[in-house]
Amino acid sequence: MKRALLVVAFVALVAPASAFAHASLQKESPSFKQRLAVSPRQIVLQFDQSVDALPKAIQVFTLNGKNIAGTPRAIPAQREIVASLPRLPKGPYTVRWQALSNDGHIVTGVYTFGVRVPAPQVTDAVGAQGPTRTEDIVRWLYFVGLALAVGGIGFRLLIVRGPLSARAQRRFFWVTGIGIVTVLETGITSFLLRGEDFLQLPFSRFLYGDLSPLASGTRFGQTFVIMELGFALVAALIYLAWLTDLNVLLWVAFGLGLVFISGLSLSGHSAADAGHSWLSELADWVHLSAATLWVGGLVQLAVVVWPTSPELRATAFRRFSRLATVLVALLLAAGTYLSILRLPHVHDLWTTGYGHVLLVKLGLVSLALTWGAAHHFIAVPRIERPGVTGTLARTLVGESAVAMAVLLAAAILTDSKPPPQPLPKAPVAAVSQR
Amino acid sequence: MIVAGIEPKAEMVHWWFATGILVLGLLFLAETVVGPEVWARRPWRRYLWPGTMFLLGLLLWPVMALYTNSMIHMVAHGSWAQVLMLSGGAELGVVRGKLHSQYWRLTSAGALLVSGTAFLVHEQNGWFFARAAFLHHALGWTLIVAAVFPLVQAIRPRSIVAASGFAMTFFVVAVLLYCDRDSAAILGHFSQFAGVPHR
Repeated sequence: MKRALLVVAFVALVAPASAFAHASLQKESPSFKQRLAVSPRQIVLQFDQSVDALPKAIQVFTLNGKNIAGTPRAIPAQREIVASLPRLPKGPYTVRWQALSNDGHIVTGVYTFGVRVPAPQVTDAVGAQGPTRTEDIVRWLYFVGLALAVGGIGFRLLIVRGPLSARAQRRFFWVTGIGIVTVLETGITSFLLRGEDFLQLPFSRFLYGDLSPLASGTRFGQTFVIMELGFALVAALIYLAWLTDLNVLLWVAFGLGLVFISGLSLSGHSAADAGHSWLSELADWVHLSAATLWVGGLVQLAVVVWPTSPELRATAFRRFSRLATVLVALLLAAGTYLSILRLPHVHDLWTTGYGHVLLVKLGLVSLALTWGAAHHFIAVPRIERPGVTGTLARTLVGESAVAMAVLLAAAILTDSKPPPQPLPKAPVAAVSQR
Repeated sequence: MIVAGIEPKAEMVHWWFATGILVLGLLFLAETVVGPEVWARRPWRRYLWPGTMFLLGLLLWPVMALYTNSMIHMVAHGSWAQVLMLSGGAELGVVRGKLHSQYWRLTSAGALLVSGTAFLVHEQNGWFFARAAFLHHALGWTLIVAAVFPLVQAIRPRSIVAASGFAMTFFVVAVLLYCDRDSAAILGHFSQFAGVPHR
């Protein structure tokens, strides 16, 4: 009897009938990001329930923003909305759709297709305006969160390896905890801001905007999903490490953190722009990881070790100084390689917006490096002298602030578009044949 | 979707979480019936419900990240994930001896308030518009009103009324979640106001 009940419960759970609260787009023609050889005659959107067509249920925009779709009509029996199209010339097209579902909610979405050309990314749909200053700030907070969380754990495991006082341990977990929560929250915010940009809807309608083309059809969206899940796991591990005092959990969190940071490298300029390769992705990951460890370590030194553990100051400072030398070398090597890759000409540095931001970032990096060098060559040999530690507390906070400014420049740089790569020259033989 | 074809249907996910919430309710009720002293005789029992709550929160992250057919769903699922982890985490901290104040119980009150608000914000229609609307309102207000139980428990930890109310809240939420799909095989299509079931 008990087994029979279990079987019934199991079947009820795994084989239910299907339904959703409000309509979801199931199929579209032309499909999302499809490249067509000939012009389609109509747009067909099929939903999981019958929907009503609103006046602007289907709009198809050309590259210059002209709507060329005919009057949309609903076909309730097929759960479809259809709009006719004129003969489309070669080019990319953006479809903006909306439907009134059974429960009264208006669901909305956007997708792209191309006629004899590749379809653009949905983030480049007609009407999307690209990253804003708000997105720059959110991305900066994301970088800061990564530094506090992953860099902080790295510092704890690589620099201050032994047991900490209860106060220092508590503060360490506060800092890394704030970091990982920042990563999770700004990750969601950044995804929603990007969605808001491509959907171009007022807030009340954006609430029901379909974000799945962004989540499934772009590298940004796919890495958002993977990184958000990964960092939720890292958050759980940090919490469990605090709860159980098991350092091994911190090692796992650190390893996973470094792995999931690679999501940024696999979805940014190094993975999507012209000239990208596995080497550019690797260089980007090294650059980001080194920066994260460096900035996170600085903050831990200034906020955790210095105020709470006077006995550890000298040792931690010397060890971090040695690690920072390696990190800075990696940072510079990877950064130089990536700059050469993204800026085809030296004059791009002062003639393009991307170059200007890079110059500001290089200036800030130089300041931080000079500061670090002063710590390494002047402060380290004198650290045992009386009065030096008090001065160092202030200079560490200063260096951390400059490092945060470097992250801000990096965030703006990530959201900026590098100058276009020069077209490869045609072979001389081919030119002469024409 | 990133894993189109292998992700479970929305209603199945609702029922899995309803089962998790039901398990939580059973654990709360068991602790209330036998009393906290008897419950704590085996130390592992004290970790049961906070651990389940924390795990449910962690498991809600994939729901937040994979079901992206609207912004409001992402935000609501994300809020539930975070408050479940926070509430379970705070209770685990108390059980483990890492946190000492009984007022950490207030995180459960906060979690119920935030969860209830997320349900109400996530539903923009009135109570009787449709079945889903009715259930979302019922879930939202149940959770908001039930926040009073952990609030009382923070002040009077031995209150049986508060402990029973807290436990029963999870039973009610589980039942409502089992019903929260128009074609629910479990408990059927119960409201005449819900209209024709979709599909």
